[in-house]
Amino acid sequence: MKCPNFEHVSRRALLKGTLATAAGGSLMNWGSLFNSQATAAEVNKNQKRCILLWMNGGVSQFETFDMKPGRPTGGLFRPISTNLPGTQVCELMPKIAQNMDKLTVIRSMRTSQVDHPGGIHLMHTGYSQAAGIRFPEIGAVIAKYLGRDGSDLPNFIKIFSHGNTGAGFLGPKFQPFALSPEGRLPTFSTSNLNPQIESRRNELRNFVEDVYARRHKAETARMHREAYEAARRLQNVHDVFKIDDEWNKYRDLYGDSAFGRRCLMARRLIEEGVPFVEVGQSSYDSHADNFVWHRALVPPMEHAWAGLMTDLEQRGLLEHTLVVWMGEIGRTPRVNNRSGRDHYVRSWSTALAGAGVKGGVVYGESDLDGIDVKDNPVTEGDFFATIYQALGIDPETEHYNGVRPIPIAPFGSDVVKDVLV
Amino acid sequence: MRGEDSAHYLEDSCGTPAMIRSLSFSLSTVLIFFVVACAAARGDDQLRNTIDSRVEAVWKAKKIAPAESSTDAEFLRRVYLDLLGTIPTFDEAVAFLDDKAVDKRSKLIDRLLDDPRFAGHQSEVWDQVLFGRNPPGYGTDKREGFQTWLRKQFSDNTPYDQWVKAILMAEGNTVDDGAPMFFVQYRNQPEDATEAVTQKFLGVQLQCARCHDHPFEPWTQLDFYGTAAFFARLQVVDAGKKNNLTMYAIGEKNLGDVLFTGPVTEQEVGKKGEPVKPKFLHGDALVEPELPKDFEEPRNFPNGMMPPKPKFSRKDQLASWITKADNPYFARAVANRVWAQFMGRGIVHPVDNMSESNEPSHPELLDELASAMVAHKFDLKWYIRELVNSRVYQLSGSGSVIEPMPALFDQARTRPLTAEELLDSWNVATGYEAMQQAAKAEPSTDRYAPLGSGYLMRFFGTPNNGVGDFQGGLHEHLYMNNGGIARLLGSGKGGLYDRLLNSESAWEERVDRLYLSILTRRPTDEERKRFVAYFTAEKDPRSRIGEAIWVLMTCSEFRFNH
Repeated sequence: MKCPNFEHVSRRALLKGTLATAAGGSLMNWGSLFNSQATAAEVNKNQKRCILLWMNGGVSQFETFDMKPGRPTGGLFRPISTNLPGTQVCELMPKIAQNMDKLTVIRSMRTSQVDHPGGIHLMHTGYSQAAGIRFPEIGAVIAKYLGRDGSDLPNFIKIFSHGNTGAGFLGPKFQPFALSPEGRLPTFSTSNLNPQIESRRNELRNFVEDVYARRHKAETARMHREAYEAARRLQNVHDVFKIDDEWNKYRDLYGDSAFGRRCLMARRLIEEGVPFVEVGQSSYDSHADNFVWHRALVPPMEHAWAGLMTDLEQRGLLEHTLVVWMGEIGRTPRVNNRSGRDHYVRSWSTALAGAGVKGGVVYGESDLDGIDVKDNPVTEGDFFATIYQALGIDPETEHYNGVRPIPIAPFGSDVVKDVLV
Repeated sequence: MRGEDSAHYLEDSCGTPAMIRSLSFSLSTVLIFFVVACAAARGDDQLRNTIDSRVEAVWKAKKIAPAESSTDAEFLRRVYLDLLGTIPTFDEAVAFLDDKAVDKRSKLIDRLLDDPRFAGHQSEVWDQVLFGRNPPGYGTDKREGFQTWLRKQFSDNTPYDQWVKAILMAEGNTVDDGAPMFFVQYRNQPEDATEAVTQKFLGVQLQCARCHDHPFEPWTQLDFYGTAAFFARLQVVDAGKKNNLTMYAIGEKNLGDVLFTGPVTEQEVGKKGEPVKPKFLHGDALVEPELPKDFEEPRNFPNGMMPPKPKFSRKDQLASWITKADNPYFARAVANRVWAQFMGRGIVHPVDNMSESNEPSHPELLDELASAMVAHKFDLKWYIRELVNSRVYQLSGSGSVIEPMPALFDQARTRPLTAEELLDSWNVATGYEAMQQAAKAEPSTDRYAPLGSGYLMRFFGTPNNGVGDFQGGLHEHLYMNNGGIARLLGSGKGGLYDRLLNSESAWEERVDRLYLSILTRRPTDEERKRFVAYFTAEKDPRSRIGEAIWVLMTCSEFRFNH
């Protein structure tokens, strides 16, 4: 990672400033300023992390993990064998088929919101939308419990963002940092100031903040100052987001697609210690031409997904990184008269891999035609509770919105223990 | 909501004893009301003195040394922000700081209370109480009609009980009259309306009782649905268009009930509930006239016209009951809420959870505030005048307290400026409007010019978490650090930058102007020296002046009201 000159200057100045302040009896949390470069290396390898692969619009279970060959609901594609004996998946996923030993597939999702806005909210937060409450997305919760104060990179990053409640009532500290579908940084995240000017301006600002902090001890001001430092440190790590060089090497592993590039970006961020990265792929809402759409969307997605898991595994990161694959809804068993499948939440599929979960597991079952769950239904609450448990976060952890206690997985959710290691 | 937490469920915490408690509670309120009313009639005591002696008594009892009195500069900035929602101009600051009169603080308060910006700011504060940043309901984000109406209530100083009653009666339409917009948020959701009305106007939390009897408060599901029954017949009607805006009206039908099906956990698919009759909270059932046996009415009100009034309005009955002077919750709730607006936190905190398990920090004082509110006929301007004239309000914000909202009010609170306050204060600090006028620019009709509501709301709209604590966010700094506020930093004539650059004065004086313009105070010697050195470090000060303005605009001292 490169480190611009002005940064060295200002770090020395800050070091001086910190010592003086400490001598004056007031200790600010400057520790993080000294380790910009060291951060990546010092990331605790055992720290749990999570990547969410988000299939926006609602990927079809019939064209991925829950084939119904020979049934009227079965569709056009054929099943293929996998490296998990006795388990088949759709022929569109040959690479995932060879990684089934890493996956837990849940074939018995039964959720409560059947439209897109409701489903996107539900499967990002675990909760249905409610008037007057902004629920936090899963990324914000994970940022809060697995994120590190003083890290150079934001703790909640989205690439091609879906879902719009962000940090919700957890507050701006946990807002997502959202990259464009092409991986561009959000507006205002890049300083165009001459580094020398930025550096002297920063020193003047530090002086002003020191003066205020001498007589004002309220923790709000401290948080304000730390957030400013975080915004500044972000300038040092822009190189992490520049993936062209590495992409040339990894293009084949991830597959030459936009989604593949996003997944490589996610791996780089996870490797730097970012605890949560969401990667979006869109256009699954196949009310017409379901099979055409899935033939176009699934192969590059599954290539990238398999490549991501391989890459994580080779770097020793898969066992610490939970990879979640889901959309907001499933699709109807019936194929409509436009060769489409509509929205369906009575029985659909999701998948997990990596940290905390078993590999080579197919949990739950749908009935003969995929119309209903045959056994072991998993609600959205159960699914979120399982994810949090796998990451070592107690699913009953409560936050407050006003006086109302709101656990991170809804009351009454059950962890699916059978899929956890 | 799905499911409930059985571990939190305490059996039978409601019932008869609570009813008796509540009765005695309202009797004592009425008694105090008479005592205070008599005192007020004699004019022998001011509420500000009651506030100070009650709060001081607790400091004494707990051996707490409060912060010293605020400096004039501290007070000036605080009271401008709290009353007008903006900082004073350079000229206003100098005039106040150099004024030698001993009663200059109370005179300033009187002047600000009569400033038109007072109504503008207070109505924005209440608009947020009533709607929040992301109001539910289609069309509620465009509510100029409501906002104009509410501003008028504050500029006329309409008594609080009267304008709340108007909101609850919801007469007319949302474009011409404004007030009906409140209920547009809760279209076909009588349960949501129940939660909102009881929280916002009565300061009580019924929402737990929506799905199960409240685990530790005397609220039962029948209290909840008894209140919801008042709203069950409301319909949001599209009454036509005007100026490209839909005129919504709140219609009320003659028929229709909420159905109660018991605790959520005992519900079954297809089980039909029992109709629940309207009942006042901890009070009597509503007595309703019978409708003729064969009475029928259409299912929906037709669009494009105002709905007719019902033969008997449940909504109006509730509006009268809520806003009655002897309602046991209403006056306490508003006294506590406005207290919190100025003092940082409620005497009962949070302000919308007045309940027996959440005790007030100063119980006698809260009784007295509520009674005085009634005695002064819900005159909010009078009440605010008393609050900001108190010693407690005028304490310093500096000191050793770490909590941003000290529970015993022994130091002034530190609260983040709202998006609107930041924008208006930045505009004042940089002389943005003066620059616009000097350039003869067309005045903007956009409330959020020149930064725009999109960015302002995204980066500053909700600075707190769900329980009201400030959460320092990365994004507001990215915005400020990387060019977001550049539009305010123009070099136009009459602006701060221009005045600093093209001045004949010594640099020391220019630094004074910089500090007074942005931080509403004169710099210390140390600060003056440091900034003079900054400006004179090279021959050309232009870039450095912009940098220094930016530094003071983005620092913690500016970000908070303290």
